[in-house]
Amino acid sequence: MPRLPSRLVAQASQRNPLLALVLRTCRDPTSAALELKWLRDYAVQHCVHTRGNWRPLLFRLCAARSRGYPLQYLLGSEFFGDLEIKCKPGVLIPRSETATAVTHFVNQFNPAAFNLPPRLRVLDLCTGTGCISLLFAHLFPKQRTPVKALQIVGVDIAPEAVQLAEENRRALLDQAAISSLQNLRYIQADLFPPEESQQTSVPSLIGRLEALGQLEWDVILSNPPYISPNGFNRDTSRSVRNFEPKLALVPMAANGLADADHGDVFYPRILEIADQVGGKVVLLEVADLDQAERVAAMALRYDWEGVEIWRDELFSHDDTKYIGRIRVLGTGHGRSVLCWRKAASSWLRRDGESNTTGVASG
Amino acid sequence: MFYTPWICTRCLVRTTRRLGGRQLRWHSSAAPTLASTSTSKPIYPALLERARAISKEHASLSQQLAENFDTKTAKKAGELATVVDALKQWEAANDAYTELSTLIHDSKTDPELLALASDDLPSTTTALESATATLTQTLVPKHPFASFPCLIEIRPGAGGGEASIFAADLLRMYTAYCAAHNLRAQLVKRETADGVEDMITEAILEVETPGAYAVLRGEAGVHRVQRVPATETKGRTHTSSAAVMVLPSFPANDEAGELGFEDPGSDYYIDPKEVRLDVMRASGAGGQHVNKTESAVRLVHLPTNTVVFIQESRSQLRNREQAWQLLRARIAAQRREAREEELLKMRRGVVGVARIGRGDKIRTYNWQQQRITDHRSGLTVHGIEGVMAGGPNLEKIMQSVRVWLAEREMEDLIATESGK
Ligand SMILES: C[S@@+](CC[C@H](N)C(=O)[O-])C[C@H]1O[C@@H](n2cnc3c(N)ncnc32)[C@H](O)[C@@H]1O
Repeated sequence: MPRLPSRLVAQASQRNPLLALVLRTCRDPTSAALELKWLRDYAVQHCVHTRGNWRPLLFRLCAARSRGYPLQYLLGSEFFGDLEIKCKPGVLIPRSETATAVTHFVNQFNPAAFNLPPRLRVLDLCTGTGCISLLFAHLFPKQRTPVKALQIVGVDIAPEAVQLAEENRRALLDQAAISSLQNLRYIQADLFPPEESQQTSVPSLIGRLEALGQLEWDVILSNPPYISPNGFNRDTSRSVRNFEPKLALVPMAANGLADADHGDVFYPRILEIADQVGGKVVLLEVADLDQAERVAAMALRYDWEGVEIWRDELFSHDDTKYIGRIRVLGTGHGRSVLCWRKAASSWLRRDGESNTTGVASG
Repeated sequence: MFYTPWICTRCLVRTTRRLGGRQLRWHSSAAPTLASTSTSKPIYPALLERARAISKEHASLSQQLAENFDTKTAKKAGELATVVDALKQWEAANDAYTELSTLIHDSKTDPELLALASDDLPSTTTALESATATLTQTLVPKHPFASFPCLIEIRPGAGGGEASIFAADLLRMYTAYCAAHNLRAQLVKRETADGVEDMITEAILEVETPGAYAVLRGEAGVHRVQRVPATETKGRTHTSSAAVMVLPSFPANDEAGELGFEDPGSDYYIDPKEVRLDVMRASGAGGQHVNKTESAVRLVHLPTNTVVFIQESRSQLRNREQAWQLLRARIAAQRREAREEELLKMRRGVVGVARIGRGDKIRTYNWQQQRITDHRSGLTVHGIEGVMAGGPNLEKIMQSVRVWLAEREMEDLIATESGK
């Protein structure tokens, strides 16, 4: 992040010392002013302990923000699509790029795909706050497909995450009465089997699904930890590096892996799980176009019918390009990899165009 | 036909082409020369004619009803009744006024009676004026957007930092006014100059209560302030200004299809393909690497290069909705203004109505003299504090503008009618 000229900071602190504090973390005076306003609104609403005097609280909030403490932890939430998701330290803050991808994903479903199952079963692996499964459950019914009911399970290794995801589900159920949230539950499990696991105390996912008697799933969504150790030191912002859980960002792996391979650890495992549970569609978030290409190549090895890469901005399909046989949509950073089985190509309106998806003709 | 619905400006354009050279003159039905302080505001002869014709129709409808009742006729008669009542009151007030002024101007009036009559004159004049205003208002058709909520946009004009401070004062004034009159107001946007709280570069207040547009639309125009700015060291008075726009605010979606969001012929239609959406991109790698807090949204309407930028809410989706609402309101206003402009060009010289446009100053706030003057209605009220706090004098001056607007609209209507 570019450092702010000290002249700007000095000017700001003369006018408004709190603004100067916030400005140490924000990129420019305008966003600092906005953050200050949001913090002030929050302080005014939450000053019960100081009997209506919100200044001490605002001062503490600004001081924390000046050290790079995430705004979303201070305010307790982040907006994700049109949902407000609760955030707590120890659980990764949802990112807007993820919301864009999930929204775009739901929009792909064909309302006239009559081979969609009446009950669609969806796994959200590495669920964190639960944001992906919550937004999916919220948006999918609006797509008006032949699907009559959703069954969703979100999985995370961290107890804080599972608890917060459940809290979020309850809050949204109370507020908005989104009925599809009734068939959504969160469980604690490790994606890796005990012999590969770094955390042996948590039961492994396949075991838990077996115990639940639910080994068949249609859709697998996941935003797993994907940052490599070098990426963590080089590309993350101070606020992320110092205050968000590293467990959510950098895969735990045995020593001795090459840097990029270290960042990729979750993807072969998730593709393997998808195979085991009979998944028809997989949507994976990735760090950039390079990782997207590596993941797409893995998926092709797992014999998926179609593989596609999505970038951050998906406003129009005019920017479609190809990397080899793989279609790349949108502009901006490479962000997601979509894989589907033949059975699901009509679900996602990708059947009449097998030559453009490329893979089937190969 | 007596009740002309609000005429869309397209139709007006057509009818004014046929408009003859008839001039409208102010006409006072009372005796011509009076003490200058108590001249009653006159009434249009055409307006009176209209009211009398309505009254006649009402009488014949009542006759019909007495012989043969039917609900449709009854409803129509009911609608006309307000005009009939207003006309009766006006006639009574006018008679009293005429009588009084005849007495005063009659050299044979005995001095004691003259003194009594002169005492009565001011109250009689006021009564006639208010009767005239009421009559005018009952005759003017409702504005097509009168029942809508509205958006108030405030921007500093000439005068640098002082103008930004005045813009913030106006924002406070309207916020307080809304609070005092039970109008639900919500801040959509408040941009400060370098984060200095009491200096704004742009503010948008949404007044969500239905009908707010009718209440506030008279506030649109340039507001001028004369005072010694806080930043002025030599005690000199500065003149600066702020521009206020008032737009009807339309519902986010047009479920009933009334506004024609989907109809390419409508003012509110915007082809989504002609709008570019820009969102703040995270710097650097994005994704898990950063937890950005920017949620700003910019919409650009490409054909007109109209740009709206909203960053007020932490929710990008909410910002996007607000931006669309604003864009729709602005484009519709531009289209309407373009048509009105055309109409005005044609009518100027025919009617000779002085019109105050968007760029003209409409009101002056003078701090030293503690007075606020509206240049359209000509009304002056006192007490800056009270007005800036949204007090009763603000409503008084706003009401004078509503009456003024109703009169202008009456002129338009009469000009159009007489051309038929
Ligand atoms: C990048 S976060 C994603 C959170 C959420 N899905 C989102 O998009 O905001 C990754 C999550 O994976 C969880 N996680 C890390 N290792 C895991 C494992 N071995 N098994 C299951 N979950 C794991 C972390 O606790 C963290 O909540």
